Amino acid sequence: MNAPDRYERFVVPEGTKKVSYERDTKIINAASFTIEREDHTVGNILRMQLHRDPNVLFAGYKLPHPLQYKIIVRIHTASQSSPMQAYNQAINDLDKELDHLKTVFEEEVLKHSRDY
Amino acid sequence: MEGGVATNQRFPKIKIREIKDDYLKFELRETDASMANALRRVMIAEVPTIAIDLVEIEVNSSVLNDEFISHRLGLIPLTSDRAMGMRFSRDCDACDGDGQCEHCSVEFHLDVRCDQDQTLDVTSADLMSTDPSVLPVDVAAKSNSSAYDASENRGIIIVKLRRGQELRLRAIARKGIGKDHAKWSPAATVTFMYEPEIRINEEMMESLSIDEKRSWIESSPTKVFDIDPNTQQVVVTDPEAYTYDEEVIKKAEAMGKPGLVEIEAKEDSFIFTVESTGAIKASKLVVNAIEVLKQKLDAVRLSDDTVEADDQFGELGVHMRGG
Ligand SMILES: [Zn+2]
Repeated sequence: MNAPDRYERFVVPEGTKKVSYERDTKIINAASFTIEREDHTVGNILRMQLHRDPNVLFAGYKLPHPLQYKIIVRIHTASQSSPMQAYNQAINDLDKELDHLKTVFEEEVLKHSRDY
Repeated sequence: MEGGVATNQRFPKIKIREIKDDYLKFELRETDASMANALRRVMIAEVPTIAIDLVEIEVNSSVLNDEFISHRLGLIPLTSDRAMGMRFSRDCDACDGDGQCEHCSVEFHLDVRCDQDQTLDVTSADLMSTDPSVLPVDVAAKSNSSAYDASENRGIIIVKLRRGQELRLRAIARKGIGKDHAKWSPAATVTFMYEPEIRINEEMMESLSIDEKRSWIESSPTKVFDIDPNTQQVVVTDPEAYTYDEEVIKKAEAMGKPGLVEIEAKEDSFIFTVESTGAIKASKLVVNAIEVLKQKLDAVRLSDDTVEADDQFGELGVHMRGG
């Protein structure tokens, strides 16, 4: 009866930013990224990719509440990098990984396509 | 590589084991569980398909009420090869999502009346599509008979009519995702398991009698181990049958032989099983999932104005810190 509309989970409301960025006021090179209408799917791959970056001292994400359709990604880096740089690089690396994955998967499908 | 930044990109490997239109089994290696799980989640909840979403009932004198029938219509899987290229009705500026618009919707008609004493089945085959590429999956399979035995296929039953009963309606199918409603999910099941690495301590194993070996093998609820009939040695016959139940480890301990076997889940090797509803091919489901995940990542890139605002803040910060 008072359940939120289902589309609330994945449609970013008008006038709301998909990603907002907030620097930590006390720690240099630390920041939080609030990503609207995303969940563990994006949160977890971002976090794990950030962990692969040697300049990242801390990376974590949280889904504050199941009915608050957003995630918060927090990044703390060493001085030679910045949270923004690390965030962008993580996305670029994941994007390229997926490009590669698509290529090798389609090659494999082609190899097997004569069998069926 | 902007600004000499070293990338931390991975190059995963794929090996397909079995492939059918609606079934796929493959190995994914050299990536981590976050990527495997993201793909699984996207396949289930975010790869778009087409399903009936709006029903206008003209006549319904069947035993099922209007909303019951509408719900059943929604759950019929429709061939959705077009879905990736379609628009969501809510984003379509060419129409108001009333079914007249080819960019975002497909119209169906159903008109059945029973004029016989025998019960009449109203099935997916009675749904008349206005787009020949969007059909109930069983009807589409019938027309290209390669998929399965068409004689077995009597359609998906929507409702049964007795003499004098009638069902007449107009239905609009729209593009959607499983996150909105499960009827839009192209996945029947998508699972992945960690590939297990099973190491038997051969020396310790040889200290067991044949009966002890047998009872140890029997302790596993799934058939992972067996005895080689020639050498009488315990061998791993099917590592993937192991369900991480640890029964064989507990049994070894109970027999006073801890460390008889070591079983580890490899952290970078996954075995995927993908079953499709038939809305799209299982292989296409994986490809579309990769594409959707790429789009999602693209959408979470920082916008230029956010970066600019931070640059200004950065300069201010440097002044404040006395840099
Ligand atoms: Zn439209």
